[in-house]
Amino acid sequence: MTFYAFTGALEQGLVYGLMALGVFITFRVLDFPDLTVDGSLPLGAAVSSICITSGVDPWLSLLPAMAAGFLAGAVTGALTAKLKILHLLSSILTMTALYSINIRIMGGRPNIALINQPSVFEPFRALAAALGLNVWLSSSLLFLVMAAAVTTAIIWLLRTEFGQALLATGDNPKMITSLGVDTQFTIIIGVGLSNALVALSGALVAQNQGAADVTMGVGTIVAGLASIVVGETIFGSRRIVGRVVSVVMGSVIYRLAIALALSLEYFQPSDLNFVTASLVVLALVMPKIKALAQKRRGVAHA
Amino acid sequence: MLEAPVKLPEGEDVDLGRPAGAEPAGRPAVACAPPAGRKPANGEDVVSEDAAADEAPMLEARQLVKRFNLGTVNEVLAVDGLDLKVAPGEYVCIIGSNGAGKSTLMGCISGTSPPDSGRTFIEGQDVTVWPEHRRASLIGRVFQDPLSGTCASMTIEENMALAFRRGRRRGFRRGVGRAERDIFRAALARLDLGLEDRLTDPVGLLSGGQRQSLTLLMATLVRPKLLLLDEHTAALDPKTAGLVMDLTCGLVEEERLTTLMITHNMQQAISFGHRLIMLHQGRIILDFDQQAKRRLTVRDLLRQFQGSAMGQISDRLVLG
Repeated sequence: MTFYAFTGALEQGLVYGLMALGVFITFRVLDFPDLTVDGSLPLGAAVSSICITSGVDPWLSLLPAMAAGFLAGAVTGALTAKLKILHLLSSILTMTALYSINIRIMGGRPNIALINQPSVFEPFRALAAALGLNVWLSSSLLFLVMAAAVTTAIIWLLRTEFGQALLATGDNPKMITSLGVDTQFTIIIGVGLSNALVALSGALVAQNQGAADVTMGVGTIVAGLASIVVGETIFGSRRIVGRVVSVVMGSVIYRLAIALALSLEYFQPSDLNFVTASLVVLALVMPKIKALAQKRRGVAHA
Repeated sequence: MLEAPVKLPEGEDVDLGRPAGAEPAGRPAVACAPPAGRKPANGEDVVSEDAAADEAPMLEARQLVKRFNLGTVNEVLAVDGLDLKVAPGEYVCIIGSNGAGKSTLMGCISGTSPPDSGRTFIEGQDVTVWPEHRRASLIGRVFQDPLSGTCASMTIEENMALAFRRGRRRGFRRGVGRAERDIFRAALARLDLGLEDRLTDPVGLLSGGQRQSLTLLMATLVRPKLLLLDEHTAALDPKTAGLVMDLTCGLVEEERLTTLMITHNMQQAISFGHRLIMLHQGRIILDFDQQAKRRLTVRDLLRQFQGSAMGQISDRLVLG
C-alpha cells in the first residue's frame, strides 16, 4: 500500500466515521435500520455545495447541510412513528424521494463541481504547510478533530436523560413508554440527529473530493454497518464510551482494510461493494459462530 | 392480628357477594395476607377506615366500552359498559376467564388501548384522551413478561434512573445522578438479592424473578397514584412468584398504594388485597369487599361464578 493510499484510507475512515456514528445512533441505539442515509449523504453534499457555489462560507454551509439531513431523518422517523409504516420501508421511501430532491437542490444537475471553490480545508492546508507536514495529512487532521468532537458529543448525549431515553427506546419501547417517554418523539429526533451527522459527513466528503454527486450515497448504509460491526468485533466494548469510540476506529480500520484489499492485484475498485458486503456478513455471523464453537467445546468437556 | 381467625356464619350457602358496581363498604385494615411475621406498616390505617368510603375515588371508570375487530365477523365486545370506582389506598384483585376483558380494562386505564366510549378519571382528573406516556406520570405498571419491564442492555442503575424520572421531562442533565445511586442502593437492598452491589451490571444478566422484582421496585420508586399489575407473577416459578408477591404486599402496604392486580390464580385473588372483582364478558359480575373476601374459598368463588355467569371456566382459572 502506498503512502497516498494509506492517507487516503485514513482520511476516508475519519470522514465517513461521522457517517458511521450517525448510523450507530439509528442501528444500535434506536434499533432502527435506516436506509435514509444513502440519500442524506448526497443531500448534505448537495446543500453544502450549492451554498458554497452561491458564495456562502464553507464552514457555514455545513449548518444548512446538517439541518437538511435532520429534516430527512425526521421525515423517515415520522413515517414510521406517526404513520406506522415499517421502519425499513419508511427509510427506503425517503431515500428514493431524496434522489429527486438532491437533483433539484443542485439546480437540476446530477452533480456540482467544487474545483477552485473555497473549502473548510484551506486553513488546515496552510497550517500543514507551515508545520512542514505533508499536505495530504491536512484533511485527515481536520477530520480527526471533527470525529473526536462528534464522538465526545455523542458520548455526552447518550449519558444525559434524553440520551438514556433514546437508548431505552431502542431496547424496550413498551417499558420506556410506561415510564413516560413519548417514543414517537425520541424516534423522530433520534433518526433526525443520525441523518444530520450523515449529511455533515457528505458535505465534508464533497468539499474534500471537490464535487457533489447524486450517486455518491450508494452503499452508505453498508459501509456504516461495516464500520460498526468491525469496531464491535475487534473491540467488543459494552460501555457507552467504548462503543462510540469503536465506531470511528471501526470506520478507519474498515477503510484501511478496503485499501489493502484493493492494493492486491487481483481486485479492481468496483469489487469494493462485494468485499464490503462479505465483510459485514462475516462480522454479523461471527458472534454466532463463536457461540456455537463454545457450545461444542462445552459438550466435548462434559 | 393479621391472621385472626375468620368466623364463618353457620350454614353453607352464604351470600358472599354484593351487587356489581356497589361502593366498597369501607377501607379495610389489612392489605395482604401476611407472610409470617410481617406487621402492617402503620396501625393508623385502622382508624382511617371509615373515612375512606367517603373519599373521592382514586380511579373511576365510567361506562367503558371497547370493541375489537370492529365491523368484521370477528367483532368482539371486550369491555361492555363497565363502571368501576377504586378508593385511595384500595388494593383490588381482578379475576376472570380468558377473554373476560381484564387486560382490555387495564389497557383502557393505562392508555395502551383507549376505550371506544366512556371516561376514565384518575384522582378526579379526566385522563380519557391522555396518551399512554402522559398517563405514566400517574401510573406505575408491571407486566406479565418479566423481560418487558426493564431494558436488558442497560445497567441496573440506568434502569432505575429511567424509572426515577417517570412522568418528568427528560432534558440534558445527567441520566444517572450521582446522589441518586444511594437512593437506588437503599431501594435495592430491601430485595435481599444482592443487587445493591451490582448497580452497573446490565439487567440482561439477571434472572426473570430478579427482573420482575426490579420492575416492581421501579414502578413504585416514584409513588404512583395507581399501580397496575397485569398477572405479574404468572410467568414465574411458584417459589419466585411467592417472593414477588411478598414484595408486592410489602410495597403496597407500606406506601398504601392504590393497586389493581389481575391474576389468574383464585387463591391469590382471595388471599391478597382488599377487594376482589370478577369480570365476565366485559362486565363486573362479582364484587367482594374485604369482609366478604375473608370468608371466601376457591370453591365458593367457583360456585358464585357459575351461578352468576352460567359460563364455562377454564382449567387455568381453577388450578391457577
